[in-house]
This record gives sequence, C-alpha cells and structure tokens, in this order.
Amino acid sequence: MWANKFPRRTFLKATAATAAAVGAGDVFSFGEWMKQASAAPVTKIPSLCETCSAACGMWVHVKNGRIWKVTGQKDHGQSKGQLCARGHAGIAQAYHKDRITHPMKRVGENDFMPITWEQAYSEIAAKLKKVLKEHGPDKVFFSHNPRPTNAFYWPRLMAAVGSNTIQSHHSMCSTGRDVAYKWTTGGMANADLGKTKYIVFLGRNYVEGLSPSSAAGMAVAHGKGTTIIVVDPRHSNACLFATEWVPIRPGTDLALLLAVANVLIAENLYDKEFVDEWCVGFDEFKKGMKDYTPEWASAVTDIPADTIYAIARGLGKNRPTSCIEQGYKAPNGCNYANGTQMFRMVACVNALLGNYGQDGGMKFGNAPKLGSLDAKKYPAPPKPKAARCDGVGIKGEYPLCQPNQGIVHMMPQRALEGKAKAGFLYRINVARNAPQPELLTKGYKALDLFVVCDIKWSESAMCAHYVLPECSAAEREDLPAIVGATVTMRTAAIDVVHSETKPLPEIVTELAGHMGLEKYFNFTREEVAAAMVKPLGVTLEDLRAKGTVKVKAPAAKPLSFATGSKKVELYCKAFADHGHKPVPEWEPPFAKADKNSFVLIHGKQGFLSHTTSISDPYLLAVAKRGDLERLWINADRAKKMGIKDGDLVEVASPQATRKVRVKVTERVHPEAAYLPAGYGRFAPFLKTGVGYGINPNDFTPCRAEAISGHAMMMEVTVTIRKVGE
Amino acid sequence: MPRYAIIIDAKKCVGCYACQVACQMQNELGPENAFIRFEDRETGKYPNPKYVMVPLQCQHCQDAPCVPVCPTTASHKDKNGLTMIDKNKCMGCRRCVPACPYNARTYLKDEGVVQACNMCLSLVSKGEEPVCVATCLTKARYFGDLDNPQGEFAKQLAKAKQLRPDFGTKPTLLYII
Repeated sequence: MWANKFPRRTFLKATAATAAAVGAGDVFSFGEWMKQASAAPVTKIPSLCETCSAACGMWVHVKNGRIWKVTGQKDHGQSKGQLCARGHAGIAQAYHKDRITHPMKRVGENDFMPITWEQAYSEIAAKLKKVLKEHGPDKVFFSHNPRPTNAFYWPRLMAAVGSNTIQSHHSMCSTGRDVAYKWTTGGMANADLGKTKYIVFLGRNYVEGLSPSSAAGMAVAHGKGTTIIVVDPRHSNACLFATEWVPIRPGTDLALLLAVANVLIAENLYDKEFVDEWCVGFDEFKKGMKDYTPEWASAVTDIPADTIYAIARGLGKNRPTSCIEQGYKAPNGCNYANGTQMFRMVACVNALLGNYGQDGGMKFGNAPKLGSLDAKKYPAPPKPKAARCDGVGIKGEYPLCQPNQGIVHMMPQRALEGKAKAGFLYRINVARNAPQPELLTKGYKALDLFVVCDIKWSESAMCAHYVLPECSAAEREDLPAIVGATVTMRTAAIDVVHSETKPLPEIVTELAGHMGLEKYFNFTREEVAAAMVKPLGVTLEDLRAKGTVKVKAPAAKPLSFATGSKKVELYCKAFADHGHKPVPEWEPPFAKADKNSFVLIHGKQGFLSHTTSISDPYLLAVAKRGDLERLWINADRAKKMGIKDGDLVEVASPQATRKVRVKVTERVHPEAAYLPAGYGRFAPFLKTGVGYGINPNDFTPCRAEAISGHAMMMEVTVTIRKVGE
Repeated sequence: MPRYAIIIDAKKCVGCYACQVACQMQNELGPENAFIRFEDRETGKYPNPKYVMVPLQCQHCQDAPCVPVCPTTASHKDKNGLTMIDKNKCMGCRRCVPACPYNARTYLKDEGVVQACNMCLSLVSKGEEPVCVATCLTKARYFGDLDNPQGEFAKQLAKAKQLRPDFGTKPTLLYII
C-alpha cells in the first residue's frame, strides 16, 4: 500500500532537492569542534524553553561550554519529561546568526549603527523625558509577552515614569476569550481532559498549538475512549485523536453553540440545580436561545442538523463530565468579529452542563502564591493615574477589555493619530504577527521614541530608534514561576556568547538609573527571586539544582465566580451597561466566502511558534523538507479551479497579493483556505527564513473588535488563481 | 546479545517532528541532515478524510541491502543485529544511499560520510532509551529487545508489523498502522 511512496528515483531526487533547498544555514560550526566535543564530559543545567508560551522545563546538556542538546524535565507540568521540536531546536538561538549583538541606533530607513549601552541609556532617557514633559505619561506604552522576569521589571519602570499602558500579546491571541470569561464566570476555567467523558474542541489544536503535556493528554484521553469532537474548518492533526471531525464554515462557531444551548434547554438536558444556584439571567437566556434550532444553525454553520443534535445530546447526557474546551486563539480568542460573544456562549453552555468545579468538567486553577519584595525596604512606584493610550477602560472605547492585556496591535494606528508618542516593545514582534504590516511599520516609525528590546532582529526591531540586545534563555537566570503545584526557574547554562548583550533586569535597572528612578530599583534580581520563593519554603539553591521543585498546593477552595453577581452571568449586566448584547445573539463574521473566494484561516504547526521559529535553521529545514508552507485548499474546489497539488497560485485580498504553492487536500472546508501561520518574514537583517512562505497577516486589515478590541485575524476573504505549475 | 528494536504506532504520530530534531541534536547533525524523515498519506473524501503520518528511519534490516554494496565494510551488521556505519571506514561513495529502499541514510557533506539511525547506542548502553523514543510527545514509540520483550514494548509487539515486507529486507523496526 506504500508502493507509490517508495519509488527509488523519487527518493534520490527528493534527497538532492532537499539538500539544495535547505542549504548551509547551519548555526553550529560542526567539524573540528564536534570531533573534540564528542568525548567531552557533559553537564546538565536546568532551564526553561523560550520558543513558545508553554515555557517547558528543560535540562540543557553542555559539552565544552557549548550547548549540545536538551531534555525535558519530568516534574515540570508543561514538559512532563518531553520536549517538542521547537524546544530541541530553539535553545540553539544562543548561537543564532540573527542575534542582536550590540545596542543599536537607527540612522537610516534600514540602517543601524552600534552604540555603547551608556549612549543608548542616555539618549533614550533624554527622549523619554522630553515626551513625558511635552505629552505626559498617557502617551507612553509598553508591549510584551508577559513572562516572570519582564512582567516584574518593565511594568515597574513604566509605573515609575507614570504610564498606565501595559500591553500583552493577547489582542492577537486570546483577548476575546479572556474578556468573555472575565464578565461571564469571573476567570478562566480549564477542561479536565483526563476525566471528561465527552469534550468538544472548537478550533483548539492540542497537538499543533501544542505543549508536550497537552498533546500527551489528548493521546491518553483518546486511548481511554473519551468522546472527542473536533469542530474546525480544517482537519488538523488533532483530529488523529478525535472521535469525529466536524468541519464548520469559518467564523460560525457562535451559531453552533446557540443551537447546542437551544437543544439542552428544549430537551431538558441542562443542569437545573446548578443553573438555579449559580447562574443569573436564565429566563432571558432561555428566551434568547428559543429560535436557534439545529436546523437554523445547520444552514449557518454547514454542519448537518443531526450532528448538532448529537453534540448537544452527547454533552447533555454526559454532564457534568462533559464540556466545551476553553479555547485559545481559534476560533474565539481573536479571530472573528463575533469572537467575544462566541466565547461567552462557551462559558454559558458549560454552565448549562453544571460542570464548573466538577471532575471531568471545567476547573479553576488553585495555584500556590509567590512572595514579593518587602515594600518598606524596596519602595514600589505609586500606581499611575494616567489614562491609557489604547482606549482600554475608557468609556466609549474599550471599557470591558482586560487592563492587563490591552490592545497591542492598534498602537501603530494610535501613533499615526497622535495618541501615542513613545513606545517600548519587549520580545514581541507585532509588526509581523498582527494584521497589515505596512501600517504597523509606518505607525511605529511615527513615534517620537520607539525602543525594542529583543534577542534576535525582528520586523518590529527594524522600526525602532534604539534596539537593546538581551542575552538568550540559555545565557541567563530569570525570576521563578509557578506551574501547577511546582515552582520552576531558568538558570544560566552557558556564558554569554556576545559580550555586549545583557539580562533584562540589568537593562531595566540601568535605564531607570538614567531616568533618575533608581530608588525604585534598589535591589538585585537575586533578591527579588529569593523573596518570591521564600513563602514556598524553597531556596534558589534548590531551584538551581533541580530546576522544578514541587510545593504544597493550597487547599481546594469552594466553588465561586468572581463576577459582579458572584454567579455565572448568562445575562451579563456589564455588557448591557456598555451597549453590548447581554445575552449572546447570532451575529455573522465579516468574512464570508462565495464561489470565487475563500475565508483565509490560519493556525500553528507543531514545530513552529509564530515567526520567531521559522528563522531557526532546524525548523526551517523541517518546513522545507515537507513543503509545509503551502496553502491548503479543498480538493473539489481545486479541481473546479483547475488547480493541482503543488501548483503555484496567486492569493489576493484588497490589501495584498502574494504567491505560494498549494496543498490540495480533503482535509479542509471548501470555503476555507488554510495558511500555516508564522511564515513570510521580511526584516532585511534576518539571515534565516526571510522570504520563505507567505503570511496571512499581509491580507488582513488592522482593526479592533468592538467589545474586547482583539485583532479579528481571520476576518478576510481572498481569491486564488493558478499562476504556475 | 539483545536485539534492540523500536515499534512505531503511526496512529499516534501527530507529525510534531520532535523526534527528528531531537535526533539531530543527539547526533550532532546539521539542519540539512536528518536520520528520521516522514511520509504522510491522506485517504477518504471530505468530510471523512483519514490521515496518517509515518516516521521513517534506518529499519535495521536483517538482510540490509546497504551492507553488500559497501566497498569498505563501513556498513555492517553489529553484534546487536543493528545496521551500523563505521565512520572511519566510510569513504563517502554513497552507494548505500540509493540501495536503502527506505531512503533512511543521509550524507554529511562536511565530513564526507554517510550516516543513519544508530539506535542511540551510546544512550542505550547506559540504560536509557533512544532520544526519539524518550521525546515522543504522544508516546507513539516503544523501545525494547525483541528477544526479551517487556512492558509496553511486549504488549505492542503482537500488533506490530514490518513496513513493506515485500522489499525482502526483513526490517527490525516495526510499525502499527
């Protein structure tokens, strides 16, 4: 049966082509070093991966002072002994050719010159002071992907200068989900996959948007016979563990959930006791769901009505050991105009199932708490009173959005409108990972001061006035973090490779000194770390030896919901107060395919996280060997359009036209075209991965969704035409 | 002597490439050289497609075609029944590369030698599992001794088959597909 896969000549051809295509983008200098190193003793130092948000615990194996390989820490909740391809490859970024090796100052459009740290700090401080004097702290923002060390240091500096606008990557990721959960259940609960009997995944892909433990959990649940329904326009690799793949028209998951609620109520399959005790607004909710029958939803979602009935009954009959998985980016986190209400419905359907706090349902975390610095000895800056420059918390703009998340992708637009004047970016590449890069680039460059602190060059760094180089994960020790009932910390595995790079605590403390704010940074990172772990009865020496240490979890709390009503808000008063529908109603996504167009959907592949990993030579080689950058289109539609597997096509939206090769497949909804995310890098300073593949963000306009302000990253249709064999 | 083998349950392989990259690191290979490669196959029609991803590497064939074509005896069967390449004897002629019907060998340009999966013998001799087995996220791989099968390896052995027995090479690596 594998005959067609093993023709010898093809193998030879493939081998030759791969070798030529991949080329010598090697970061290691093998040869001599390797020969000497192969017999050298190996030391194992604990670290944390930094290729994605999972931050798995890993052991770095070092030979002759150089990283050899990594293995997963068994006690770490995310890795549980295993690491993914990104982890194995990513640690080598210490030696990457795209490293920023000196503080840099922009002197031309794409031209930078190295400067001393002293010059960088002095000039940044002077320019920031000027902006603060002329415009006040409400036109200064800071954007990052919060991790223990930067989440402590940068916001403290921003507070010290009076700025309130701290933003995370979430408006490009999960803001819709987080805002909906905040106002519906008071916080996020997680599906208890290990014990559930019936679980529905909406777009969430545990094996490609993966952490090792989530992929393992899905395999185990599948092996145990858990009913796993994967609703997704694409038959992702997660479907390998699905009982059933339910293809859905992109952006219509809200309609499916409205119909599920309709059936649960109409057929009396909901948990009346839970609803009576723990929910507000059931009567209005019930009324709201009345017309959303599976027959109605079938026409909207392209899912057979029978399947919708089966899903609703499967959930209802298995309650409370059934759930709708909490989701992440897709389809509700930040992808469609109806995303926030879509996620309110996830929270509401789970409430109808009475599964909160139940084994096999949705469980709230109960993590141990880290300590903090003694405030008397180490005075913290006062909480800033400045208004936010991204509209969060402001009436008439985004009053419901999470203040700790903000609306990161709209800052370039705000800069063009004169609403932002100075910005700091730490290790986040908004200019490539958010829609409409031309606008983002233009906006960042319009700022009076734009500072990027990163390890490698990025599209965002190319917009900066000053680029500050941090040392990589393997070269530094960070602040500890809680993962489940453990505390974990990254330690330095090797010496700094580039002598002019520094760990973040040094950079922020020194910059604060130049701003005259040293009184708020009168401590070392080690003092902060020690204060954090003190209440847990763990020492830094423990962490340096073991990487991850088990600690006692606090006693389980009784069920509670941190909403205004202290209950699940099926009817949400806060939404009503701000002019949004208090009970979710059907609203279509903006993007709808017709016979000539496709909704452009995207999603991760298991070996990539965003654009940073495609510039890794090993991961780039994986992509090139498998032609994994291709655009997926449905086989029937491809046939009608005269497109064959591997053909070159032109993809066009009103905003952009790009060329890419096609993967013709039965594994995608006919109205969706799937483009793997993370390709299409364009920063001219990059030596690896630049120009390979195309990026969905090129086609999508930069906008903010009405309630939570997320980026609506899949709200675009494209046309596709063949331009080459 | 043990006869080491790996069983791969392709139904559990999600194509994350962790084994491929971990193997490259373990064996100090450059990005362009990999001992593990993948073939995938899609069958069925929308909306009922089936998909399988099959990791391929040296099958440690009992009748290994790479051995007789090697002019220097660099390719040989070792005492554990594994198909190994003696780097010091390999002159890089690459006759073995097309001889392998599984396309499981890779030529290291910098060193001028051919290499392939060596079952991580340096780890195995210390009682550890090969890295591809240790790192597999969904535990789709099982390592063991065919002459003394134990634990999960023994349980899976009953279901496992040779891939393409028609090649007549009697692979030691086994698959569940």
